[in-house]
Amino acid sequence: MSVPILKQGDVLIASVQAALTDHDLLQLKDEMAHKVGQFRTRGVIIDVTALDVMDSFATRTLRNLAATTHLRGAETIIVGIQPDVAVSLVQLGLTLEGVATALDLEEGLAWLAQPRAA
Amino acid sequence: MLEFNKNDFKVFGEMAEEDLDARLRFVDFTPEDFTRLIEIKDEVLDHLDEHLAAFFEHLGRFEKARGLIGSVSLLQEATQLQREHLIAMVGGDYGIHYVAQQFQLGQIYNRAQLDMGLYMGAFHAMLSGIAQRISARFPGDSSVALAHYRSFKKVAFFDLAIVVDGIVADREQTIRRQQEAIRELSTPTLQVRERLLILPIIGLLDSHRAKQLTDTLLQAIRAHRAKVVVVDMTGVSTVDSKVANHLIQTVEAARLMGAAAIITGLSADVAQSLVTLGVDLGRLNTMGDLQGGIEKAEQLLGYAERSTERTGHLAD
Repeated sequence: MSVPILKQGDVLIASVQAALTDHDLLQLKDEMAHKVGQFRTRGVIIDVTALDVMDSFATRTLRNLAATTHLRGAETIIVGIQPDVAVSLVQLGLTLEGVATALDLEEGLAWLAQPRAA
Repeated sequence: MLEFNKNDFKVFGEMAEEDLDARLRFVDFTPEDFTRLIEIKDEVLDHLDEHLAAFFEHLGRFEKARGLIGSVSLLQEATQLQREHLIAMVGGDYGIHYVAQQFQLGQIYNRAQLDMGLYMGAFHAMLSGIAQRISARFPGDSSVALAHYRSFKKVAFFDLAIVVDGIVADREQTIRRQQEAIRELSTPTLQVRERLLILPIIGLLDSHRAKQLTDTLLQAIRAHRAKVVVVDMTGVSTVDSKVANHLIQTVEAARLMGAAAIITGLSADVAQSLVTLGVDLGRLNTMGDLQGGIEKAEQLLGYAERSTERTGHLAD
C-alpha cells in the first residue's frame, strides 16, 4: 500500500495508514524528495501513528528521507510514534538521531510553524 | 446452573485439562473405583439433606465460621453449590466442569473467610455420615463397605486438593491486585503546567520498576500531550548501571515521542557512582534540583523566566 502525500499550504503530510513494505518506504522517500521541489515545500510531516512496528530499514529510510528533504530546503518531522514503538526503537538502538519528532500531527505543524535560525 | 468462564479459570488456577488426569492419578482413581461409586450413588443422593446438614451443622458449632453462617446470601450460595457438588461427586464425570464447580466453592469459602482447618473438619464430618450410610448398605461385609468408602474418599481427596487450590488462587489474586496497586502508587505522574509533567521517583529503582517507569512516562506523555518531562530523582539513593542505561533509553524514547526529558536531583552519591560506572549520561539534560528542572522546562516551553525574582532576593 503506497502512502498518500497531502499538501497543506507549504507543508507536505504523509500519513502512514498500514504496515509498509520496504518497497513502499522507498517509494515514499522518492516521491517525497520529488514533491518537495515541485511544491516549494518548507516542511514535511510523516505521521506514523498507525504503525505498531518500525524496523531498522524503516528508520534508516526515514532518516535518509529527512536528510534528502533538508538538502532540498524542507525540514522533516516524524510524528505520532507510539510508546511501545518508541521503547523498541530505543532498545534496538534506532534512535532516529538528527530527525525531529513530535507527539502528533498538531505538534508537528506547530513545530514547523516556528521561525528557525538555520 | 453454573456459568463457567474458562478464561477466569485459567487466571485463577492455571490448570489445564491434562492436569485433571494427573490429579485423578494422584489419588489413584481407577475404573473399579468408578463402578463402586455408581453402586453407592443412592446412599449419597437419597440422604443429601442429611449429609449437607452434617457439614453445615459442624461449621455452625464454631465461632470462626461466622463469616459464612452469618451471611444469608453466602450461606445460600454455598449450600446450593455444595449440594450440586455432592451430587456430582457420585456422578462419575470428573471433568473440567466438575473442577470448576469445586473451585468456585473454594472461592466462596475463601470470601467468607472460612478457616481452612475448619473446612476440613466439616468435610470430614460429612464424610463420616456418608461412611455410615455406606456401611449400612453392605451389612455384615465390612471389607466391601470399606472398599466402597475408599473409592468415595479418593474423590473427596481429589476435591480437597481443588478447594485448597481455589483458596490459594483467590489469595494470590488478592496479593497480585495489591502489588499492582503499590506499583501504580509508586510512579505517579503529575502535571504542573500545560504540557509539563513531573515524575518524582522515590525509593529503590530496580530494573522492573525502571521498565514500569518507562511505560508510565510514555503513556503519560501521550495522555497529557506533554512536551517536557522532569524526572526528579531526589528520592533515589542508589542507581546501578542497568537502571542508568534504562533511564537513558527512557529519555530517548520520550524524545521520539516529541517530549524533552530533564533529569533532576541526582544525589552526590548517585552522580559519583554513575561516573565511576562509566555510564555515558552526557546526552541527558540534567539539572541540580527540581526547581532548576522546572525553570529549565518553563524556558523550553516558552514561559517567562522567573529566575529574576530569585536574583532580586539574592541582591538583598
